[in-house]
Amino acid sequence: MKTSLLAISALAVMVSPIAVSHAAEELTFLRFFGGCSDQYANVTDMDQAVGECGVIQVLTNKFNAENDQDITINTQNVEWGVYYDLLSTQIASGQQPAIAVMHRSVLPNFVARDLIEPLDDIFVEAGIDTSDFLPAALESVSYDGQIWGLPWDIHALLYHVNGAIMEEAGLTDAEGNYILPTSTEELFEHARIVQERTGKRYLSIGSRNDAMTARVFNLLMWQQGSGIFNEDLSGVQIDSEEGRVALEFMKRLYDEGVALPIHDGSEATQAFINGEAAVFVSGTWQVDTMAAHSASESSPLANYQVFDFPQVVGDTRATWSDSHMWVLPAKERSPEEMAATVAFLSFLNDNSGQWARTGHLPVRQSVLESEAFAALPYRTSYAETTGIAQAVPMVQNQRPIQDIIRDGLSAVWLGDTAVDAALSDVQSQVERNFRRVR
Amino acid sequence: MSSAVSRARMVRLRDGLSALAFLAPFLVFYLLFLVYPFGLGIWISFHDWELVGSFREWIGLWNYEDMFADPQFWRAVRNTLTFAAMTVPVMVGLALLLALGLNRQTRIHGALRAIFFTSNVLSVTVVTLIWIMVLSPDRGLIAQLFRSLGLEPIAFLASTTWAMPAIVATTVWWGIGFPMILFLAGLQQIPGELYEAARLDNASPWRRFTRITLPALRRTFVLVAILQVIGQLQIFGQVLIMTGGGPSQSTRSLVQTIYETGFADWQLGYASAMSLFLFVVMFVASMAQLYIARQED
Repeated sequence: MKTSLLAISALAVMVSPIAVSHAAEELTFLRFFGGCSDQYANVTDMDQAVGECGVIQVLTNKFNAENDQDITINTQNVEWGVYYDLLSTQIASGQQPAIAVMHRSVLPNFVARDLIEPLDDIFVEAGIDTSDFLPAALESVSYDGQIWGLPWDIHALLYHVNGAIMEEAGLTDAEGNYILPTSTEELFEHARIVQERTGKRYLSIGSRNDAMTARVFNLLMWQQGSGIFNEDLSGVQIDSEEGRVALEFMKRLYDEGVALPIHDGSEATQAFINGEAAVFVSGTWQVDTMAAHSASESSPLANYQVFDFPQVVGDTRATWSDSHMWVLPAKERSPEEMAATVAFLSFLNDNSGQWARTGHLPVRQSVLESEAFAALPYRTSYAETTGIAQAVPMVQNQRPIQDIIRDGLSAVWLGDTAVDAALSDVQSQVERNFRRVR
Repeated sequence: MSSAVSRARMVRLRDGLSALAFLAPFLVFYLLFLVYPFGLGIWISFHDWELVGSFREWIGLWNYEDMFADPQFWRAVRNTLTFAAMTVPVMVGLALLLALGLNRQTRIHGALRAIFFTSNVLSVTVVTLIWIMVLSPDRGLIAQLFRSLGLEPIAFLASTTWAMPAIVATTVWWGIGFPMILFLAGLQQIPGELYEAARLDNASPWRRFTRITLPALRRTFVLVAILQVIGQLQIFGQVLIMTGGGPSQSTRSLVQTIYETGFADWQLGYASAMSLFLFVVMFVASMAQLYIARQED
């Protein structure tokens, strides 16, 4: 059977040479960003796409419909929380996808074990111009002197604001601009004003079993000019004076009712959409989605605005950031499969301006300078984010370490763990994990 | 004489071979999917062995030493034992009560048996999603009840006091059907004459229960208890979906720790060492129960 199939395909190749270049290729495309293939079934008009899921789904549809090489991209969407577990098991069992999404924060783990392909030569062949990548974007995909991914975005934490609540609380200046805090005391003062004048909470923030806890802790460390790793990345400094200030600040948010400790990520998002809080602490990935909610007449989320993350502790401007990229998991690829894969990568790179519509920071100079980008809403109000965005350093085991921080620190507001005990517990757990890094 | 002996030997050999042939399909799967992975697990536990990539290094007992010094591991052991200690008695007791109540041949009892068993066929994802909704402090069923009584709703899954009982309740609701069926099967094997004779002797219902029903159900009891202990010590899905091990690590279970160590941290060697520890705990618990049951014989 196999032989006869081979013979037939060999014959087909000999009879029609065109068949070689037009051989149908199916590629698995593993990603998070949500599942919306039903909602956007057959939609190829980019104007209809909303949010991360919409943009990437419609881009994929568009490529499937319009490429002239008979390539089909099969999306495999996985929930964000278990994404790397699945990718790891696929790699362990030799069932790697053709293309996968990856964060810069986990890149070192995959590079150190030769699990993904270096892309320098592939980019040259495909004509993907790396000099068009913004410096931060190029840095985010580079490790050990090589390029490992096609940069897709830089994402960062922002201050999402429900303008209606700010106005009702009178947190506006003479020109009608919303007043944002510039210090710890101002933040708590604003929270008190909002509570008194509107009965609403000041902050909505994922606080239970949510990565936001670790992101905010990183951000607060950086705002004090510190970080969870020491300068030469040889050790952790969570159990430190800066760590204590950061965690005391977070604890106070919950103690004083500025934010709700029981909210997980989706509950915090929903609470902001429902108009229960003036400010939503979340990332660039929510901008387009929140704007869409705010656009509806009856939405309690009204006059939505979004800003650079304010200075809330210390005296260094900083916000947390990470980035998404597309990688090729290491595996045997036929020249045809490789060509198809590169064709899709090039397509994504050509359309990376579309991704910026979600609210993410762009990765290409040409996108940044484009008229389409300049026309995107809100961009001027968080223009500084590009400059203050600080990414977790490229060390191995970043993901388990961030999980330890999330679980260990939230014990302060969800349990009765004292600040100092939580810091030393997290410090020793991270050190235990670090010990196994090679 | 000698030919008779050799013929008997031949017959025995043939019987042995045919027995083996009948057993072979099972044995192949047993060896391939149970014995081999078990041995491999032990082998892996002596290594620094990563899930992905090719790094493997023999480190002897280091994973075990590390495990016994790991506060996270002990926290998970404690949580898992607490969970099993809360769940198993409730499950066994409630299943017995249900079985006693439903052990009648009427239509309504048949329907109720089916209803109580139904939750058993749902997947862990469905069960936990239902219970997350029921327990939600904003829109949940229980929150509505609390509000109608003028009480402040409890955020069960965010409370270090209530998260574990909430997972116990979910698990009992999910798993009660199977032990109930086992008890029903046990009840139906008790000869009716025993009850008839006891009734003629004017034995009270309570006496009939303690002197006939309970002793007759002893074997079922042991079976249900062992299955429950083994099952509940492997608590995983409910925790992963409902609390992620929180709040404040109060529901982090051993299997969850094993899973995260193996699949998120890639430390398969370390995860295997923890799995073997869990195996030993389950093995000892089962043996202890069998031993106690035999002592009473």
